[in-house]
Amino acid sequence: MVETIVLSLGAAALMGACATIAGAAEDLESDFGSQSNANSQVQLAPQVGYLHRYYNKAVSGEPVAYGFLCCTGAAIALALNTALGINIVISLALGALIAALMYAVYATTAYMGRLTGQKRFGQPIYLDILYTTTPSLIAHAFIAALGIGAFSYLMNLVLGQPFPYPILAMLWGVIVGGMGSAVGDVHYGAEREYQNKPFGMGLPAAQSGKIVQKGEAGLRNSMDVAGYCVKHGAPLTGFGLGITVFADSWREILFTQFWNGWGAMVAGLLLVLIWVIANRILEMWTRNTYGPYKTAED
Amino acid sequence: MDPITLLLILVGITIGGLLVGVGVHFVPVGGAPAAMAQATGIGTGTTMLAFSSGALGLISAGFTVHDIYSGSLKGAYPNFAPSLNDGTLLTASGIGPNLGAIVLVIAAGIVGSMLMMVILAVMANILYAFAIAVPLVSAKVKYDPITGDRQDLYVTRGTEGHGTPTVALISALIGGLLAGAGGAILYLALVASKFSVPTAAFIAIGVFFVNSVLASYNITGTIEGFHDPKFKRIPRAIIACTIASFVLGIWAIAIVYLGVV
Repeated sequence: MVETIVLSLGAAALMGACATIAGAAEDLESDFGSQSNANSQVQLAPQVGYLHRYYNKAVSGEPVAYGFLCCTGAAIALALNTALGINIVISLALGALIAALMYAVYATTAYMGRLTGQKRFGQPIYLDILYTTTPSLIAHAFIAALGIGAFSYLMNLVLGQPFPYPILAMLWGVIVGGMGSAVGDVHYGAEREYQNKPFGMGLPAAQSGKIVQKGEAGLRNSMDVAGYCVKHGAPLTGFGLGITVFADSWREILFTQFWNGWGAMVAGLLLVLIWVIANRILEMWTRNTYGPYKTAED
Repeated sequence: MDPITLLLILVGITIGGLLVGVGVHFVPVGGAPAAMAQATGIGTGTTMLAFSSGALGLISAGFTVHDIYSGSLKGAYPNFAPSLNDGTLLTASGIGPNLGAIVLVIAAGIVGSMLMMVILAVMANILYAFAIAVPLVSAKVKYDPITGDRQDLYVTRGTEGHGTPTVALISALIGGLLAGAGGAILYLALVASKFSVPTAAFIAIGVFFVNSVLASYNITGTIEGFHDPKFKRIPRAIIACTIASFVLGIWAIAIVYLGVV
């Protein structure tokens, strides 16, 4: 039994690492393609007179897009592995590749369609943006799909989760999309898109759509965005997903043997409590360090 | 299958869907504005945020059902595997001996869902604190109902707050609790009606999505949690989600009754 636990823990550690890389790649891909929440500003910008050179993708929002990207990759891998007997590692890679290429089709049609709709505001379609950014997009979507397919496979095979790994890949794809949307997109939307606004404030509603047009060197494009967000937003997203995968697997592997399975539940609730306390400490720290924007009148 | 079992499965699916719909109202959704530090909450859409947490609850519940059925917990809950094989888990005589196992599975769904929700909220807060450098406050209340901290002085002018303060986080945990419990009950009801594991997972995901989207339409965009005035709209969601889950439950038991699976 100890051997099973050690094997499972090792697999869980590998899954955590895969998830961290996949999460970072997911957020970077959504920064290259300007997907999801932060894209609302890119979509709004030409309408308020701010023409731009960002990619404008937004294929249905991140969680759904990643759910189905990873599910497609894993399903193709399942088909290649079981029907043609191809080695699972190569199957996962081929599945992720085909899914990423399919994703690129959606990205291209989204870009062309969205910008065509903004022709009346004078927003041009930059073909050089399409040609240079789409391959980076494919590459990062491939990494994300491969990472999630790989750790879903491990979860099914080694940890013993009963769902087939394409379904697990879909569930984890939605989770990684939610993580990227909640964590990484904020770095893109609140910080990079409005780099010329003062540091340390939220975005007032009147400033919506007035995104940065001129970057540090030349006109701002999505490559600059990803190069910036890779320093904070993307690793934090990856860390969030990695800790989710690892913590959930860790508490299930180690503590299910105690109290007829209730040990794992108690361990999970203790973890939640630790995170809530950490959040309270963080909240107090931000209030004390940054201080109020205005003094109280009373 | 006898009518009582089918009825209990229908009740299980309806209750599971209803819990999901109600739980979604507690989750602090900031939507697109939150990603620009313009609104309080987590910067994802309502549906997908609830589904992300419910997905981990479903994975956790699936793990536990598998452990009890054929894994390390098989000896601790010996009645579970035979009940599941016969399809007698959700009968009047089957629930009693298996109550411990059922409660454990629901607890697994709850814990998975709460863990996901807290990690989503706190990782986003870490980013707000260090990359955007804003305090975590809500503009909808003057004082945080749980910690008593003053909120309005710390809100950027022109925004509706930023980050996920403590009251929103507690609301998120309650939402995760309900959504995870609902997902686990859904999965258990489907597995007990002799659907195979992948089919049960798929149907559970489907019912989860339907209730999640219904609740999201009721909220119409963003909500901060139970302290938000929009929370008073919850009675409409209760009615809508009950009816929707009931209809989906009828389909599920019709498939079981006609012996398709």
